[in-house]
Amino acid sequence: MNADPRFLIVDDFSTMRRIVRNLLKEIGFGNVEEAEDGVVALNMLKAGKFDFVVSDINMPNMNGFELLKIIRSDDSLRTIPVLMVTAEAKKEDIVLAAKGGASGYIVKPFTKATLEEKVQKIMTKVS
Amino acid sequence: MGLTDPTVPAAADPQATRSDPSSSEQDVRHRIGQLTRTLHDALRQLGYDRELMDARDNLPDARDRLAYIARVTGEAAENVLNAVDRARTVQQELSEQAAGLRDRWQEPAGGKATTPAGKRLIDQTCDFLAGVGGHADRTNAILTDIMMAQDFHDLTGQVLRRVVVLAQSLEEQLLKLLIDTTPASQRTRTDAARGLAGPLVCAVAREDIVIDQQGVDDLLASLGF
Repeated sequence: MNADPRFLIVDDFSTMRRIVRNLLKEIGFGNVEEAEDGVVALNMLKAGKFDFVVSDINMPNMNGFELLKIIRSDDSLRTIPVLMVTAEAKKEDIVLAAKGGASGYIVKPFTKATLEEKVQKIMTKVS
Repeated sequence: MGLTDPTVPAAADPQATRSDPSSSEQDVRHRIGQLTRTLHDALRQLGYDRELMDARDNLPDARDRLAYIARVTGEAAENVLNAVDRARTVQQELSEQAAGLRDRWQEPAGGKATTPAGKRLIDQTCDFLAGVGGHADRTNAILTDIMMAQDFHDLTGQVLRRVVVLAQSLEEQLLKLLIDTTPASQRTRTDAARGLAGPLVCAVAREDIVIDQQGVDDLLASLGF
């Protein structure tokens, strides 16, 4: 993976985007962009190269599951790790995300340590 | 005066419906329509239509209030995050200036004391300045906790959004109850959409959800992920 990986945070709540952005910066990843839903995220992913996606599930226009499905079915995007960070606590949703190709799953509220652990684990796996 | 509507035809013959499923279904729909009409008339006669109308009229106001709460709490969370950012900058500056000052005190000329008391003061000052970085780190950790606590806006916001949808649905149903006089068979059927679970509000007696990150990890591990 890129030495300075480019992250895309997808969440309809600006507060949460900001929190995740700051946490990633604290962890050591300062190259971060934001999108407020799956549609915007998809356009950004197609327009520029991203190394990592951190996505919410419950969003307007295009939710996280739909975004994940499109990413995994697109040849130019399919290898990008997607970490779901969401308030969805239903087992059904977690299984759906895993089977849909999510690289990791974090339930809100979460800690900095949890985010760091999951991101590092995925990065290690990818590289 | 009775509560039934004389204009509504009587139900179909039960014997006939037993042999024809579509006829039976039609009969059930017809009877539901009849009941709805009866209920509508009854409510009107008892004067409850006014109360229902009031309830319906009040729901948009309730929605507005919830939207207001979502907006204000969102702004509050943003304000806190702005303050956290400013405090971090101050901590960073404090840490850097302390380190620079300590280096200067430790230089031969800067740290040259003329008396033992002066030497002690310089040592104490250097110790203090050396500790500022650590204090700044601890303050930053606390600021991170404050920042993380602002995720309440996301969690409560999602709950509020669902309540708003619920209120909207209730409003529509009340409206229907008040004005709907068309037969049941001609009504638009609205299936309850399969909504996402959203933030965990009450985990008691729920087996279909996980209650923490450990639960997520265990579930994924059991699936081989």
